[in-house]
Amino acid sequence: MMPNIAELIRPTTVHADLYTSRAIFDREMDVIFREGWVYIGHESEVPKRGDFVRRTMGVEPVILTRDTDGVHVLANRCSHRGNLLCQLERGNRRAFNCQYHGWVFSQKGDLLDIPFPVGADVDRSKLGLRRAHVETYRGFIFATFNNAPCSLVEHLGNGRQALDRASNLSPAGEIMLRSTWVQHLFSANWKMLGENEADGYHVNFVHDSFAKGVSRDGKYGNVLQKDERKLTAVSRYLGNGHTEIDYESTYDRPLIWLGTAADRYPEYNAAMSARYGAEQATEIMRAGPPHTYIFPNLFLAETALVMIQPLGVGETVNWHTPMYLKGAPDELNRRILRQGEVALGPSSFLTADDAIIAERQWRALRGSPGWLDLNRGLSRERQEANGVAVSHYTDETPNRGFWRHYKSMMADRTVADAAA
Amino acid sequence: MTMAEVIPLDGAQTGVSDAEARVLQSFIFLEAQLADESRWEEWEALLDDDMHYWVPISETEDPSGLDPSIINDNRSRLATRLRQLRTGTRHSQAPKSVMRRMLSNIVMERTGAETYKVAANFVVYEYQNQSTMQLNVWPGRVEYSLRRRDGALRMFAKKVHLVLASGHVPTMSFII
Repeated sequence: MMPNIAELIRPTTVHADLYTSRAIFDREMDVIFREGWVYIGHESEVPKRGDFVRRTMGVEPVILTRDTDGVHVLANRCSHRGNLLCQLERGNRRAFNCQYHGWVFSQKGDLLDIPFPVGADVDRSKLGLRRAHVETYRGFIFATFNNAPCSLVEHLGNGRQALDRASNLSPAGEIMLRSTWVQHLFSANWKMLGENEADGYHVNFVHDSFAKGVSRDGKYGNVLQKDERKLTAVSRYLGNGHTEIDYESTYDRPLIWLGTAADRYPEYNAAMSARYGAEQATEIMRAGPPHTYIFPNLFLAETALVMIQPLGVGETVNWHTPMYLKGAPDELNRRILRQGEVALGPSSFLTADDAIIAERQWRALRGSPGWLDLNRGLSRERQEANGVAVSHYTDETPNRGFWRHYKSMMADRTVADAAA
Repeated sequence: MTMAEVIPLDGAQTGVSDAEARVLQSFIFLEAQLADESRWEEWEALLDDDMHYWVPISETEDPSGLDPSIINDNRSRLATRLRQLRTGTRHSQAPKSVMRRMLSNIVMERTGAETYKVAANFVVYEYQNQSTMQLNVWPGRVEYSLRRRDGALRMFAKKVHLVLASGHVPTMSFII
């Protein structure tokens, strides 16, 4: 039975069923993860013709491929009998051969060959793999199975600045992924992971042990403290479901966010100045990377890139890989790797505890449904001209926006379906 | 090379005498028990100053060194990890997991005058009593690098290959 989603989302409260209802989850997979824009991968993961990686759009398996025309996103499902076509996580292939009956598909999804053709009473041109609509921005690849989507630029909106901010830290203007991931399983709903990324309020509580375990000097000094008025980082709702926490104001010199200094990397410093000019390069290196969630499944986690993969209503995988900077020296990129390992993964200093809290929360919501409060900061948030709302680091401004966007996608759709 | 040729009949081929083998085995059994029982201070006392604690995502070598790891701690980061566990607010180990582990198929090798490599298959049975309240089973292979210093054995590397390392890994903030 499909709950009435419009009634479950109020301006400052949301209902537990949104996290625990299997019917709502199934609807999300259609409305958000098939009809909406989804992050798929980065161009650096498939640099050469024939390169591919496996991904998912919600629960649907897809393959990201590259041929001479560019990148494609294909349903990873043989058009004949539905067998999973590609099992390898990544590699390079001229074509995809189905192991079940030998059908052969191109990197663009066209059906090239059917074994025993005499008896094949089918129109090959109609039996290609289902192909998603694909657009890219700064090398970040997004896709949707919607036939008439809004443009990617429209979907990204103010979120584009976060992709710029991540890319501009590279003297080549590009991030670089290696397609090797740690996959951390959360026994919780995917939205809890998304919401947590822009929740500055939890940091002093969920990560109390981290605050006590590490030195507070440096990167974490500003945010790991008990006085609310001294926290200068801000939270933002960017529109279209995208949210962020901006630590920029807490960084007082270049590369402090990486626990180092620019003069330790003269080669990088020079390459950045050559590309952006000395003044802008210094500012880029001071302001640091984004901490931005791009709805529904991408999180630019400062020095790492995170993909949120829903497996089921109470099961989600948090994938992470280092966001390397193209053209930066190996020692700097190695620092990026080591810093990501502090924050992310099953044994990390931060998300290990986030996962346990999300799992407790999900179990409590399932057993004790009711309303969740999102009032914090309502009276002090500010609206900016570009549709952005900004507030104190600990305020729930980002997630109020997240739910408005979610409602606009999910609830309107329910009404439309009912009318149809 | 046939299988028979690689199976040593005495300590001659591995360079580990029976007496040394008993000491090495006692060491890894003690290490396992201290980890099972979250006796972090006693566990930390087994470490040498250059300890490397590593849980990679694959058994395949990564020549670039740029693949992310589940854990890749030098001595200082491992000290932070243990300090964090001891705060009492490390939620993913508060309460502490209830654990017992089995070590088997132990092989030993002398790698220097005072250094040894010991490897074993293992299974950790973990009652995850923080959130899911499930029994987690963690099989894998462990490789220890040990050295004799000031008359005692110290561990200077522990590398753990989880069978599940490249899959969906639940939270694992205890000492594996």
